[in-house]
Amino acid sequence: MIKFEKVSKVFPGDFVALENINLLVKKGEFVSVVGHSGAGKTTLLKLIYAEEQPTSGKVYFKDRDVSTIKKRYVPYFRRNIGMVFQDFKLLTEKTVFENVAYALEVAGKSNREISEEVPGILDIVGLSNKMEKYPEQLSGGEQQKVSMARALIHCPSVIIADEPTGNLDPTSSWEIVQLLIKINGMGTTVILATHDKEVVNKANKRVVVLEKGKIASDIKKGKYTV
Amino acid sequence: MKFLKIWRTFKEGLKNFSRHWWLSFATIIILTLSLYVVSVTALLGIAANSIIKNIQDKVNISVYFNPEVSEKEILKIKDDLKIYQEIKSVAYISQNQALDEFVASENNDPIINQALEEIDENPLLPSLVITAHNSNQYKIIAQAVEGSDFRDKINQINYEKNKATIENLNKIMGLTEKAGLILGTIFLLIAVLITFNTIRLNMYSRKKEFEIMRLVGASNLYVQMPSIFEGIFYGICAAVSAMAFLLITAKLIAPLTKGSLQEGDLLSFCFQYFWIIFVGIFMLGVVLGVTSSFIAIRRYLKI
Repeated sequence: MIKFEKVSKVFPGDFVALENINLLVKKGEFVSVVGHSGAGKTTLLKLIYAEEQPTSGKVYFKDRDVSTIKKRYVPYFRRNIGMVFQDFKLLTEKTVFENVAYALEVAGKSNREISEEVPGILDIVGLSNKMEKYPEQLSGGEQQKVSMARALIHCPSVIIADEPTGNLDPTSSWEIVQLLIKINGMGTTVILATHDKEVVNKANKRVVVLEKGKIASDIKKGKYTV
Repeated sequence: MKFLKIWRTFKEGLKNFSRHWWLSFATIIILTLSLYVVSVTALLGIAANSIIKNIQDKVNISVYFNPEVSEKEILKIKDDLKIYQEIKSVAYISQNQALDEFVASENNDPIINQALEEIDENPLLPSLVITAHNSNQYKIIAQAVEGSDFRDKINQINYEKNKATIENLNKIMGLTEKAGLILGTIFLLIAVLITFNTIRLNMYSRKKEFEIMRLVGASNLYVQMPSIFEGIFYGICAAVSAMAFLLITAKLIAPLTKGSLQEGDLLSFCFQYFWIIFVGIFMLGVVLGVTSSFIAIRRYLKI
């Protein structure tokens, strides 16, 4: 599904973010990428959704070299990937419904399709009673759920979550991870970058440890060992 | 599908326009000022040109013939003069016509009438009144007439008398054209820069929004379209306000320009060319608004 082949990323000023990364994520897997701040977790994820390009090596998404996707086709490519961020990245001037609907609008879905699909996905994340609220009227956990609903609305084959629990209390964090596990159970590949020990240990899934831009360990059913 | 996307981005643009009303208001004010300054400069330039043209039409030179030259001969010379490209028109004023005009211009002054009766003959000379296409051509025309083979039939050419006026007029015309062009260009440049910067600040305040849109899978054009529509709305609002201010200015200046314009005064001038001026301002406003939005947003679409 996703393959990193001898991938290195060097930022200007000779800052090595990733060095010689070889990684294979199979369809339907749940992978936690852990490591200290600056270990290269976010860069690794950005390479998947083409926000960054590798300095050397290749990143494949469904056997396609991501770096060959032309810039103007990147938005279309991203519709295959659901993304969840630490800061939620919600449009503050849109309601919960509108935020989720926006992902469908950009894809040219009809109003009828939107009004059928959005309530369904909001029901899955448990926010069907807050459709008309604005992000600022929600708790952090609820905002992250909106972000997840938006990521899921296209039925993507992969969900990439970059520190989704970073701004949340333990209870909300666990709810989000449970939701990710549930989504994974439905067949969606999940890549979770985090340094939340609790989350990784409770998930009990494959753990890839990054240290100074290199893969320090890759354990099938691992614990947080950093 | 395309129509659906255009309709959605139009609605989004309208929503943004009213939602960020304070930013929209500030942008419209700046754009209005820019359009107003540019259009006032252009209008004054056009009006000055029209005033000068009007004066120019009133300027002419008269070639007076000796009393013994027959009307037939003068009319032949008139036909000969018409060949010159520089000459716009030639009018023949007979002795009698000249006398009638002179008496009328003196308001039938009894003393003058009495004097004329005493002379018992018409003291005025027949003449040809020459109007040129351009006031700077009078010198050449006067020289051509003086150097012609009918020179000995001419009593006097009044070019010298009008020379100073004509030369002044030429100078003013040249100066107005240059000043108008330079001022217009400077103001236009300032208008473009100020408008661009205002819209850039407007877009800067929403850069996070654009980033999210891109990450969610919106194409560049889909992110840009609402802002382009916003640019159109700015342009429309600013054009209407600038036109209103322009008419108010024209009304205030109108008394000063009464009679100097062919159209009456500056306000009548504005009304006569209302649609041309409005469409001009409107196009400039929309082009400025749209291009500024388009360029300003581009830098936030590189994710």
